[in-house]
Amino acid sequence: MTALRADAAVAWAIARKDALSELRGRQAVGSTLFFAALVLLLFGFALGPDSRRLTEAAPGLLWLAIVFGGLLTVARLHQLEADDGALEELARYPVGRRAIYLGKALAGLGAMLVLGGLLLPVVAILYGIDVAGAWLPLLATLVLGAIGFAAVGTFYAGVTVRMRAREVMLPLLMLPVIAPLLLAAVKATSAALGGDPFGELGSWLQLLVGFDVVMLVAGAATYGYLLEE
Amino acid sequence: MSDAGFVVAAYGMILGGLGLYTVTLWRRLRAARDASLRIRREAEAAPPPDRSV
Amino acid sequence: MRVRLMGIIGLVGVASATAFGLFVVPADLNQGDAQRIMYPHVASAWLAYGSFGVTALAGIGYLWKRDLRLDAIAVAGAEIGVIFTAFAIWGGMMWGRPVWGVFWQWEDPRLTTTALLLALYVGYLLFRRLTDDPARRAARAAVVGIVAAVDIPIVHFSVEWWRGLHQGPTIGSPDRIINPSAPGQFIVALVGMVGAFTLVWVYLMIRRYQLARIEWQIEEHGRLGRISAARRAASAPTVGQAEEGAR
Repeated sequence: MTALRADAAVAWAIARKDALSELRGRQAVGSTLFFAALVLLLFGFALGPDSRRLTEAAPGLLWLAIVFGGLLTVARLHQLEADDGALEELARYPVGRRAIYLGKALAGLGAMLVLGGLLLPVVAILYGIDVAGAWLPLLATLVLGAIGFAAVGTFYAGVTVRMRAREVMLPLLMLPVIAPLLLAAVKATSAALGGDPFGELGSWLQLLVGFDVVMLVAGAATYGYLLEE
Repeated sequence: MSDAGFVVAAYGMILGGLGLYTVTLWRRLRAARDASLRIRREAEAAPPPDRSV
Repeated sequence: MRVRLMGIIGLVGVASATAFGLFVVPADLNQGDAQRIMYPHVASAWLAYGSFGVTALAGIGYLWKRDLRLDAIAVAGAEIGVIFTAFAIWGGMMWGRPVWGVFWQWEDPRLTTTALLLALYVGYLLFRRLTDDPARRAARAAVVGIVAAVDIPIVHFSVEWWRGLHQGPTIGSPDRIINPSAPGQFIVALVGMVGAFTLVWVYLMIRRYQLARIEWQIEEHGRLGRISAARRAASAPTVGQAEEGAR
């Protein structure tokens, strides 16, 4: 049991370290949040001005903005270590590779939750949807979606961290994998906002849980190979 | 376009594409084998590169 | 050479299966001549997914055994896989237009999953091309391939769910469902095409594998050449200085 406790301690330490870096580098974090909000605004120009159409499209647009902001976020979380060569340092410690992965994914989860949480009121205002009424299922969807995105994003950020053309390779590799998450999260959000008339919310949340579990396991199992030389 | 047109487009692209890919594969293979042969001849003529890597 | 013979048999097989499927088998009762597209489309799709399985398994094998020949198999599977995936999508679209009335149908889980398969393949190949260090490339590509392979069933499942839970119209009308007027010939045509395509696939895989091996050797030679050239350059100034000192 002590090995598990050690892993958990390491993961938590890494997550805390990343979170502190995020808080200190507030400009980068703030810019990303502002960018995502800007994307939402631009969607309005692209699909508007018919507010009915925007309201219908709101769940999809919200999650697209989360995805775009999320891409920048996970890239940034890995860039900190890469620039200092700290990733190699981390890899030398006899610490579980799983723990490193989970720690970074945890930090990613936190960042994604902040992103999603701040975008919800923006969507509510811009697209005229009532968020307060369905806050619990919306929160569940956000958490499950963020976990999946962080799991996949941490992995691919590790894959692309020191390669050429990484700014385009990260989304290029990640987006096909994230397609089921996007699909399920949007459907769940839509169902939650509409009062779940067909009783499908549970199914979509189940799909999200399944996705999260599979991706966390796959990421934890393979992340170690990315750290070796 | 009638149905036959779509059938032709499907078969044409797929079989044509297979043929094209096969031919380019042959060309790449031949170029690689030539390059490999050239390297081997150079190695026999000149001292071999430092193997203590 | 046995490989060449296999290739020739495959070629003859594809030609005969094509002739059979186009001219001998009667048109489908519901889908008409468009149904003939199924033969190469299904064959391509089967090999597209099979190739991806090969790439993923070869990747796992490489991480386990660290034998670069497995990496060569992986890249062969990916390159040939992307070709067959493109064929499968093209065939699906050419079939969809006459049968569904549209080139693309979001609710069809096979079409959308195959499109995503194409994206995953392209990403894998681009990733390999942009990774310079050959040792790192094999291991990382293996990992990328494995995670991508894990994603495919999830995608398929979720698109199926997407279609099932959506309360909209079903794909096409029921009277467009396949209804061969000569079921025996239909099966022969399909199995024949799949078999012939598989032979061609094996031939291409072998050739692409051979190419990968030779290219790796060339790459290694270039790498060793650069290292020894760097070593010679590093020791040259001291030789010059020694000459200076002796003068």
